[in-house]
Amino acid sequence: MLELRWHSRAGQGAVTGVKALCDVMAHEGKHVQGFSVYGAEKRGAPMNAFNRVDENPIIDHSKAMKPDYVLVIDPSLVYTDIHYDIKETTKYIITTHLSKEELLEAVPAFAGKEIYLVDCIKISQEEIGRAMPNTPMLGALMKVSGLFEIDDFAGSMEKLLYKFPQKIIDGNVKAIKRAYAEVK
Amino acid sequence: MTEEHLLKGWEEFEPGATLFSFEGKPDQEVHHENNSVQHSVADWRVDKPVHNKEFCIDCQFCWVYCPDTSIIPDVDDKGKGIFGHIDYKHCKGCGICVDVCPTNPKSLLMFADHLPVEEALRQWPEKEEKK
Amino acid sequence: MEQNRIVWDGNMAASQAMRQAKIDVVAAYPITPSTPIVQNYSQFVADGDVDGEFVMVESEHSAMSACVGAASAGGRVATATSSQGYALMIEVLYQASGMRLPIVLNAVNRALAAPLNIHGDHSDMYLGRDAGWINMVANNPQEVYDLNLCAFKIAEDYSVRLPVAVNQDGFLVSHTTEALNYLPDDEAYKFIGDYKPHNPMLDPEKPVTYGAQTEGEWHYEHKMRHEHAMYNSFGVIEKVLAEYKELSGREYKFVETYQVDDAEEIIICMGSVAGTTQLAVDKLRAEGKKVGLVSVRLWRPFPKEELAKYLGKTKTITVLDRSAPLGSTGALYNEVAAVMVDNGYNAVLLNYVYGLGGRDMTIDHLTEIFNSAKECSDAGKRVKPLIQTINLRGKELSFY
Ligand code: SF4
Ligand code: SF4
Repeated sequence: MLELRWHSRAGQGAVTGVKALCDVMAHEGKHVQGFSVYGAEKRGAPMNAFNRVDENPIIDHSKAMKPDYVLVIDPSLVYTDIHYDIKETTKYIITTHLSKEELLEAVPAFAGKEIYLVDCIKISQEEIGRAMPNTPMLGALMKVSGLFEIDDFAGSMEKLLYKFPQKIIDGNVKAIKRAYAEVK
Repeated sequence: MTEEHLLKGWEEFEPGATLFSFEGKPDQEVHHENNSVQHSVADWRVDKPVHNKEFCIDCQFCWVYCPDTSIIPDVDDKGKGIFGHIDYKHCKGCGICVDVCPTNPKSLLMFADHLPVEEALRQWPEKEEKK
Repeated sequence: MEQNRIVWDGNMAASQAMRQAKIDVVAAYPITPSTPIVQNYSQFVADGDVDGEFVMVESEHSAMSACVGAASAGGRVATATSSQGYALMIEVLYQASGMRLPIVLNAVNRALAAPLNIHGDHSDMYLGRDAGWINMVANNPQEVYDLNLCAFKIAEDYSVRLPVAVNQDGFLVSHTTEALNYLPDDEAYKFIGDYKPHNPMLDPEKPVTYGAQTEGEWHYEHKMRHEHAMYNSFGVIEKVLAEYKELSGREYKFVETYQVDDAEEIIICMGSVAGTTQLAVDKLRAEGKKVGLVSVRLWRPFPKEELAKYLGKTKTITVLDRSAPLGSTGALYNEVAAVMVDNGYNAVLLNYVYGLGGRDMTIDHLTEIFNSAKECSDAGKRVKPLIQTINLRGKELSFY
């Protein structure tokens, strides 16, 4: 079972990101589960969303998981506690404008962890026209996880977004591919 | 007392406590046994309303106000709606028709239920003078 | 049957089943977490995907009232609600069932205030327990979709003609996205069939009064006719579920069981916790422990006879109630205890109050519960408190 935990702020599209990943994986014949922990919070409040992916039906309906990937789509959340319930092999993919050295200096808790950085905020602003870091994060995940070939994944996402104007679809596809190329 | 034939067993009722108005089509006017038309409330009455057509102006107030549709209207030769008669099978003797009747003296008055209508008409009061 | 695979959450699964049922009227007042069900449906109406009426009303009391009106007028009707909205609907839920109107309600279960909480527990479902509705429980989005289609067919069967509530856990099912299979529109509709109105109010050729006043001479008879229909529904539900299995390949039973045949410790529960419990069973079975699971699918009418089949040999039964009983054992516990007494069974009975307001229940918690029950079977008697709590902060709290 593959498990992912998203750290986001309400309104940044983590739930949409979770659903998009579910969609793509389900069309590959996998069993998927996506959920988030809602509060009564307003836009901007920190929130978590989760993905489970497996070959078999997923029947666990608890929120407990030790994620394989922690996806951080808001740069400021690295300063909060995002290190609970992790395992030794947990990989972090973090949206930030900082370099690895700068991040380790700013947040010593990342020392010894496997971290990958990509600036999804900047990428989405430049490619989509607004700060929607969710789809580029999925591009970065494809690179780090090797779950799909990037062209296959971008193609699936393009189909998924069919209801949107062509400009938005193209922007998302570009953002996904750029994050794939830029994540380090 | 509830009529015996209406006291059916549980399995004989329509689901949902549904009651019908007619047997067959409404225009055939065969009332269903559950229709209230089939059930007299005359024995609820202590006093009955009596109509005196000498003073009646056919305003139809009584027809509008009767809660049991027991003032039955009629039409005259010119097709105008007029007071017809009182349905004593369904009149429960509440006196509302008397209360709303605007004439002086009133064209509807309550009398003891057992008093014959002719006798009631003989006892009809005079016009009341305004004080 | 060729089916389409898609990713929906529990709410969307309900909305799509409603779309396929070609409902005449949806009257609703939105409330979290059921809001997306009627929001999606209103979108279908706006997009022209369905040609029924969507009626926005000013409260849940009005929503169910409008449903009662539309159903007695002769339409196929459905709505959705949760929690406080469910509580406000209660008065009219009794009207709907007493008038024998086949309305389908998607109840997305959520805690009842105070204190205010938007997350899942079963206090609203328990509140509606005696309202005369058939109640089914769906444990994931696939089941929400499937049971919704079955609900219309069960409700509208003439020998049943009762409203049906399809319950799902708030957020844990309603907002959880999973892959599922759904039938083509025409096949789904063909399964449910055309709506056959019975004594519709909007028939000027046959005027009818619904829900007449029935004082002492009649009330008992009408209520027992309702009761009789409720028991009649067992056979119809079984038939409809069998037909659905034939069509979809997916099987549903009154109670679902897992590893019960030789089980010495059994957990009985309702809702999405069943899946998590199944994983705890797998984990303990791997350690050689004889544990099993019974998940109750049909809450009303309660499948006493079916349940009894699985409880005769076990040593302990732990019943999980996702609602604070506030002064007694939980409602599901009471049902199970009655089955034990009725059949002269003798297992140790334990009751947990868990998961209130969305509190997590993990595989580890369920393992702990099984292990605690094992101590009772080892001792041959109840050595644990009767009513216990799990994953509750503070001093250990238990009763009896
Ligand atoms: S006494 Fe009452 S019931 Fe009788 S006719 Fe007058 S208003 Fe109607
Ligand atoms: S209210 Fe009086 S005056 Fe008017 S129609 Fe009736 S009996 Fe006649």
